[in-house]
Amino acid sequence: MVQWFPQAQFAGYIVAHEKGFYDEAGIDATILFSDGTDSPLQEVLDKRIEFCTGWLSQTIKIRSENKPIINICQILQKSSLMLVAKKESGIETAKDFEDKIVSNWGGDFSIQPIAFFQKQNIQPEVIPQSFRIDGFLVGAIDVTLAMYYNEYHKILQAGIDEDELVTFFFTDYDLNFPEDGIYCRDETLQNDPEMCKNFIDATIKGWAYAFQNKEETLDIVMKYCREYHMQTNRSHQRWMLGAIETAVTYQVGDDPKNWGTLKENDYYTVAKELLNQKLITIIPAYKDFYKDVAHER
Amino acid sequence: MKDEKVKVKRPLVRKLLLWIGLPLLLVYIVVILFTYFWSGDNALKQMKEYLFELTSHHASMLDGKFLKVSRASIGIADAIEEFSIPTKNELYSLMKKKLSENSDIYGMAIAFNPFAYNNNIKLFSPYVYRTDKDIADIDLAKSYDYTLQDWFMIPKLLGTSYWGEPYYDEGGGDIFMATYSQPMYKNGKFFGISTADISLDDLELEMSNIRIMAGHTFIITRTGTFIYHSIKEYIMNESIFSLAEEDDQPELREIGKKMIAGEQGITTFRDVNTGEKSWLVYSPIPDCHWSFAAVIPDKEIMKTVNSMVIRQIAIMVIGLLIILLVILWAAIGITNPIKKLLGFANRISKGDLDEKITGIRGHDEIHELVKAFNKMTYDLKHYISDLTAATKAKESVESELRIARQIQESLLPRIFPPFPDTEEFDLYARNIPAKEVAGDFFDFFMLDDDHIAIIIADVSGKGISAGLFMAVTRTLMKTVCVQGVPPAEAMEKANIVLCQDNDACMFTTLFLAIYNIKTGHMHWTNAGHDEPIIISEDGSYRMLKTFKDIALGINEFHKYHEGEAQLEIGEKMVLYTDGVLEATSPENELYGEERFIKILRENAGKSLVEIIDIVTEDLDGFQKDNQFDDITILLLKREK
Repeated sequence: MVQWFPQAQFAGYIVAHEKGFYDEAGIDATILFSDGTDSPLQEVLDKRIEFCTGWLSQTIKIRSENKPIINICQILQKSSLMLVAKKESGIETAKDFEDKIVSNWGGDFSIQPIAFFQKQNIQPEVIPQSFRIDGFLVGAIDVTLAMYYNEYHKILQAGIDEDELVTFFFTDYDLNFPEDGIYCRDETLQNDPEMCKNFIDATIKGWAYAFQNKEETLDIVMKYCREYHMQTNRSHQRWMLGAIETAVTYQVGDDPKNWGTLKENDYYTVAKELLNQKLITIIPAYKDFYKDVAHER
Repeated sequence: MKDEKVKVKRPLVRKLLLWIGLPLLLVYIVVILFTYFWSGDNALKQMKEYLFELTSHHASMLDGKFLKVSRASIGIADAIEEFSIPTKNELYSLMKKKLSENSDIYGMAIAFNPFAYNNNIKLFSPYVYRTDKDIADIDLAKSYDYTLQDWFMIPKLLGTSYWGEPYYDEGGGDIFMATYSQPMYKNGKFFGISTADISLDDLELEMSNIRIMAGHTFIITRTGTFIYHSIKEYIMNESIFSLAEEDDQPELREIGKKMIAGEQGITTFRDVNTGEKSWLVYSPIPDCHWSFAAVIPDKEIMKTVNSMVIRQIAIMVIGLLIILLVILWAAIGITNPIKKLLGFANRISKGDLDEKITGIRGHDEIHELVKAFNKMTYDLKHYISDLTAATKAKESVESELRIARQIQESLLPRIFPPFPDTEEFDLYARNIPAKEVAGDFFDFFMLDDDHIAIIIADVSGKGISAGLFMAVTRTLMKTVCVQGVPPAEAMEKANIVLCQDNDACMFTTLFLAIYNIKTGHMHWTNAGHDEPIIISEDGSYRMLKTFKDIALGINEFHKYHEGEAQLEIGEKMVLYTDGVLEATSPENELYGEERFIKILRENAGKSLVEIIDIVTEDLDGFQKDNQFDDITILLLKREK
């Protein structure tokens, strides 16, 4: 199960499924899409499903609560979360956020912004953010939280040019929180490591295929989007696929053999910030949290 | 009579067409080309203006619709701001009333700021909306936290009214809708939001009735998102910017930016769907900051524009054809009578003068020509008939003259030598008349065995009358001479007769000699005639000097003198009329006595026939068909 409705963010899984890579691996897989009201991690813990995707910040919290969830593959290496402002609002640096209205989705999305504000030593007015960017577009909100692969491009697709915007990528402020990783229960890995390995291999194969065959991948993704009545378009999904590719290959390169590793320092960057924000009280051990299934022999 | 086809090398019709039609055609071609390019531009401009107007019209119609919806919401907001807070029932009935009054509104809500409606109630948002049957109501607070909704949050933050982006309203109306939000304030504090929704289905229905040429229409919101498009898949999924990106058409993105900025315009672009060059006409819907647009394929516009131009050109071409036909008609109108005249003239040339040209109307030059032609043939006909009559008359006179000449010729001695058995003398004469009937004559006849009478005369005047007078004179002279009287007496007797009853006052000069053939002696008398010449064989000559007696027929009492002369053996007497000496060359020179005598002397040794031949030949050469007077020459030679 993935965290949201079908989109290019999940292209690797969808393609692996559609191209029969899971079947080849002997796995009878079904992809479920969260609608935001249910939690894929909870579904895994509740043993209704075997694998799910989740954000590192989110899963560290759950692991620190001693729940048997384990990262078996870190797909996205780079955080796509960012803050965006219009130049016309007079914002040039983060210092200009003071007295401005900043919107934030809340929950796990707010960890990086809060850390950012602390680092910048600013205290802007933060209001809840809906899943739409209309408030930012019409100027009701000065600074908005955005995913580079999604909302940022939606702003561009609303007729605002990149040079009219000011961007703040959290990765540029030592806040690279790797996002989507693949998780399962400890017992699943213990009981059937081969199945887990096959699943991860098939998934990485799916991603590799998706990046090599982007238009075919977009055909498949758009088919899913239409089935789920997503309000989206192909060029947006193309942008997303490109941005996700950047996140997958960030610091590990184009060779799929090198994909899927959770780097220890990335892990501790996130965990320390969680501890700092008192979202966790103890940092789980890296080797307990993560098993590099993709590169196991 | 069938006209012969006259073949004309360069017919007038062709000439007129060439001279008038061709320059006209050239001018027309220039005008048509100019029209094509100029009026093409013009038609395009008109077309643009038309599309501009039409699009503006539809946009303002739509704006009116949105205004009605927003006004209804403002009305409720005003009521709540002005008066004390209504009860729940009052609120529902107020909104339901508004909804029933305005069919364009799908639903209305009042969303109160937390605890604003009631200190004990955090969230309260009465909502009324249409169902298939009637108007339903719910409290939105029971479905979701409306304070996190854009339609609540954005106008609250903006502090102004706001037409939201369309969305699918789950838990509310469960349809695609767009919401107008009006913030409410009480005592200067934010109190809540009054909303009115329109259904995109209704909008779609409305839009499907709008036709702009053979194109399609669409509406984009202030973010560029399609909320109406003929391609349904675009609605809520694509924006004008996503299409620009997908189609890699940065120009379209620029157009989109102008559209969402509330500008109005007309431009061309490549239709993303068809790939064809198309026209995009857009006009803002100010109330909601949306933009209405029409897309018309260029070929449709050009078809209309071209048909306008073609119509214009067709009218011109028809005009040209009419002008050419008129020229042709005029040319035929001019040439037909001329052709008729030509045929007529050809018939005249063949002698057909009985026809009259008819059927040529008008009062122009051609008609004058026809009149002249008709007059000409009439005159010609009469002239010819007169001429025929005259010719006939002339012919009859001529034939009479011929007869008279024959008679006259028969009067003169014709056989030479006249006395072949006579050895004493030789005689030869020749008369060359100027007209058919000559006035000259000569005669000779034996009076007895020894004497011969020789006469040469020249009657005054010429032709018939002269001939007749000559005949009378000749007969008279013969009669008188035969009586055996001397020459002078014979002359006097003849003169008396001729003078009597001579009403015509005709006269004749005459020389008479009675010659003794044995002795060569002669008695002569001369009535006004040229002096005879006696020439010997060695070329010496002498004249028989006259006594200056007058011509016969003038004075009956005149006494004529008589002379004598002796002709020696070999000598020749030359008698002649004034036609010889007065022969005139074309250069108006007279032949003269000198030349005559010279030629006689030069040829004195020749025979009489030879001498006469030479002299007449010389005269012919001198006069060159220019003989005015009769010429008569008589030669007498004493042989023994």
